[in-house]
Amino acid sequence: MEKLLARRSVRLVALAVFAVVLVVAPLVSSPFINYQLALIAVFAVALLGVNIVMGYTGQVSLGQSAFLGLGAYIAAYGVKNGWPLLLVLVLCAVLPAAVGMLVALAAARLRGLALAMITIALPIIGIPLARRFSDFTGGSGGATVSFMKAPDWSGLANDQWRYYVVLVIAVVAFLLARNLVRGRVGRAFAIVKENEAVALAMGVSPYRYKVLAFTIASLLGGVAGFSYLVVVQFTSPETLSFFTSINLVAAMVIGGSASIAGTILGAIYFVVVPVLAGAVNSARTALISGAILLAVLFLLPRGLASLPRRVRQLSARKSHGRTGATAPHNSPDGASSAAPPEIPEIPAANEERQAR
Amino acid sequence: MQYFIQVVVDGVATGAIYGALALAIVLVNRATGLINFAQGAMAVMATFVAFALTRAGVPLIAAALAAFAFAFVLGALLERVVVRRFEGGDPDIAVVATIGLLVLLTGISAAFFGYEPHPFPSFFPLGTVNLFGVFLSFRSLGTIVILVVAMVALQVLFRSTKLGLAMRAVADNPRSSALSGLPVSRLLMIGWGLAAGLGALAGILVAPQLFISPGMLDFALVYALAAAILGGLDSPVGAVVAAAFIGVVENLAGAYIDVIGDDLKIAVPFAVMIVILIVRPQGLFGRKVVVRV
Repeated sequence: MEKLLARRSVRLVALAVFAVVLVVAPLVSSPFINYQLALIAVFAVALLGVNIVMGYTGQVSLGQSAFLGLGAYIAAYGVKNGWPLLLVLVLCAVLPAAVGMLVALAAARLRGLALAMITIALPIIGIPLARRFSDFTGGSGGATVSFMKAPDWSGLANDQWRYYVVLVIAVVAFLLARNLVRGRVGRAFAIVKENEAVALAMGVSPYRYKVLAFTIASLLGGVAGFSYLVVVQFTSPETLSFFTSINLVAAMVIGGSASIAGTILGAIYFVVVPVLAGAVNSARTALISGAILLAVLFLLPRGLASLPRRVRQLSARKSHGRTGATAPHNSPDGASSAAPPEIPEIPAANEERQAR
Repeated sequence: MQYFIQVVVDGVATGAIYGALALAIVLVNRATGLINFAQGAMAVMATFVAFALTRAGVPLIAAALAAFAFAFVLGALLERVVVRRFEGGDPDIAVVATIGLLVLLTGISAAFFGYEPHPFPSFFPLGTVNLFGVFLSFRSLGTIVILVVAMVALQVLFRSTKLGLAMRAVADNPRSSALSGLPVSRLLMIGWGLAAGLGALAGILVAPQLFISPGMLDFALVYALAAAILGGLDSPVGAVVAAAFIGVVENLAGAYIDVIGDDLKIAVPFAVMIVILIVRPQGLFGRKVVVRV
């Protein structure tokens, strides 16, 4: 009990330090760094959506960029027509959520790859549509806006002000999501992921919760689209790119599936690695990013969020001279019990394969 | 009517390219149970080998054969060194590993050849052949013929050779196959190698049209994925038929429905596909998966 308390206080201190860093960072950094920090906050929200569908509920979603793009376009249209910003933000949340729910109502009966395919289709269909309806979207050239300038009383530069705006949005989204996945709905997601038949037997409708997960993910995607426009002040059909969706999925797994901390780490990875790789050698960005992705997967297959557990495991192995069974998950996210315990059979099968 | 036939044949030819890639995806999926997002990037890399050789003066056919050999080794190697580690674990992680490969291989291709597109020589002369008043391009016909031959060869391999039987056994049940003495590890590598070779074929056939660049097949990969899933991931025939279907629907919609035109035609097969999948979730030719508790 004492140990738990100690860990709890350690966690609180860490959280407080993290919060202070988040607030102070833009005041002491360059506009370039602030831009990247703000992008992390933007994509963290989009990634949170991916994680709710894939990590927590176990459904493949390769279409998050479509909702990101939809949100950004709605925001651009609203800003251009001078609508109140709060209304624009609400629309950016509600409309993508409605689209996501419609798609999910039809698609959530499907499983696995059929579902994946329908989510792939969203950005593929979305991009030519965005090009076509140029009155609404600005066509291939995209839409440039100029809004969300720092008010005079704040004494902040635009980049700092915009960072704080998207940070507040992200913090609110994360707090709500954290409560969601820790509560009744989160447990329902976990059982749907684990086994739909069991879920059904327990009175949890897999269909309903899949639709709910998709709707929440699309909502978060749309909100991230609003944040994206705040930070970048520009959107084009490229925002919807299928490869953004794929990279979001990669970042979700890299960060840690079904983990709130992992989502933040994933967003940092998503934004920072290309920048770092570009700084090392701008002609080799893809090569370096790919190598880093694979390296992380090899070292930490459960994602960056599993680093502390992994270190503990390794040190335990060293001191006891035998591999412990998987350490009991006492992850703060509660729902991580949804992560299946490592199945002993499969490594055995692999060894068998390699034995020959 | 003639125009209609031309549009359909061109559609089948485009579809055949997606089909080859889709077949590669199906092969990998059957062997190792995962979707390989790097299939296109592997194919592009092999096509770049052919490109470098033709630029050095090697005849195209020899360069293509070298590219197949390269693709086979690359596929087998990647399976053994990278993918093996993620097999049998969480499928999400395995898929993300192939996304990592996609990015890495694209980066390697770009490191050698840059991102700008280069022209690539074609097996077929330009121009058309007049068949009963319908003008068909050599390229479309040649592409279709080559890919049909490749698919028949593959079918023969899987249905009537011992190697094919062994590969099917491993795909079906790796543990039992291992117990009955099959070299499972080697067979998985061969499966990946064959898939990579098929991808290389698609790459070499499509490169004259698209011009070769590291991202050349990014888009084709999406089509191929669509074809593989639409056809049913366990059905090679289904994947090919679905790919031809996608190519034809796309071309017809672009040619005949004015509102759609060239820019929106991509969306049509995907919209059709959504409807088909909702009606038949297991794909056109796939078997229904029975879920046990």
